[in-house]
Amino acid sequence: MASIISRTVNHLRHVNRSVIRSGLRIPRPPLADCLQNRHLPLLGQSLTIYQRCLFSTTPNTTTQNQRNPEPKTTENENSGNSGESGESGEGSKSGESSESSNAGKSIRGGPVSWLSFLLLVATGAGIILYYDKEKRQHIEEIFKASKEVKQGPSVGKAAIGGPFNLINHDGKRVTEKDFLGKWTLMYFGFTHCPDICPDELVKLAAAVDKLQKDAGIEIVPLFISVDPERDTVEQVREYVKEFHPKLIGLTGKPDEIRSVARAYRVYYMKTTEEDSDYLVDHSIVMYLMSPEMEFVKFFGKNNDVDSLAEGITKEIKQHKK
Amino acid sequence: MATEAYAARNPAEVHTDVLSNARQACYKARDAFYACVEKESDKKQTEIASKGLLYPAECKASREEFVKHCRTSWVKHFDALYCKNKSLKRLLDDKDSRKGV
Repeated sequence: MASIISRTVNHLRHVNRSVIRSGLRIPRPPLADCLQNRHLPLLGQSLTIYQRCLFSTTPNTTTQNQRNPEPKTTENENSGNSGESGESGEGSKSGESSESSNAGKSIRGGPVSWLSFLLLVATGAGIILYYDKEKRQHIEEIFKASKEVKQGPSVGKAAIGGPFNLINHDGKRVTEKDFLGKWTLMYFGFTHCPDICPDELVKLAAAVDKLQKDAGIEIVPLFISVDPERDTVEQVREYVKEFHPKLIGLTGKPDEIRSVARAYRVYYMKTTEEDSDYLVDHSIVMYLMSPEMEFVKFFGKNNDVDSLAEGITKEIKQHKK
Repeated sequence: MATEAYAARNPAEVHTDVLSNARQACYKARDAFYACVEKESDKKQTEIASKGLLYPAECKASREEFVKHCRTSWVKHFDALYCKNKSLKRLLDDKDSRKGV
């Protein structure tokens, strides 16, 4: 392979020499001219360095190589390819001959030329920039879409809520249909709760009063027991009447309670220490239900009375729109 | 119909020790007891409460008041809560000087 290349190079060199000797003057190709004009000094400098690395023994060639780099470097590269077997002498000769061929015809170079390299770099940079732009746009779109969802009301409805069939604290059977037409705020708890349920119910009652006073909004507070075995109707009645006159307490049979807890995604579990006295571990949550008894918003333990009232007011206003 | 059957199943006794007055009395006794424990925290903790809580003998009286006014499950609940808060506070306050609980 190398021998073939060296043979071609030598042949070309002979052609050059013969052409020059015969005094044939072929005008310089326009391409070389254009490249010459467009060449940046930086490129020229890098070329110089490249030449210097390639031909360390020939000081002559460096100065002259700057003038017409394009066809020359192709030949230099050719010689570089075949230069493994220590042909620095030939390299210098090629430098000389190519220098004299500046006035001669252009040398058709090898497959890799500075022009093709430039084109490759330009295309690569173009592709990278285009791809980067597209990707950035795509990411922005996604970000905007997700941001929009956060700000407005949520899309779709959470599958919370459903029909229930329980007994209120007056001993009357009620279903969810009895609560249609008014906003409801439900809390799940049990009467034997040491501290959390009383605190939450106090908060609930205060929020209902605040809403009534400040915004004139009427909300029905609802307490559903998750301890049906101990929370009888009388127990619930005595319990709820201490918090708020409008607070309605619901209880029922264990399986009825289980179905309503499942519908409202409320966790509850008896902590069996001793059978006589136990606590019920349960999720601490208040649900705001619309007049159609559809789930609107939930409030956790961390909300105080003001944030509760604010949240409820906002949801009601948004719902009316 | 269901309500009568339901009422008959459970004796109509209301556990008044969970209603408001009883709750307030319980909270008062509880706070008194824990204040005592805090105050005498440098004394030797010889008595056993529940859920791993220890308290010094000086607070025995308030402990008895506490147990009298509150249900057993509530006493255990409050003791566990107190221990948890204490260990959390210890963890947060001197995180360099102590390893573990």
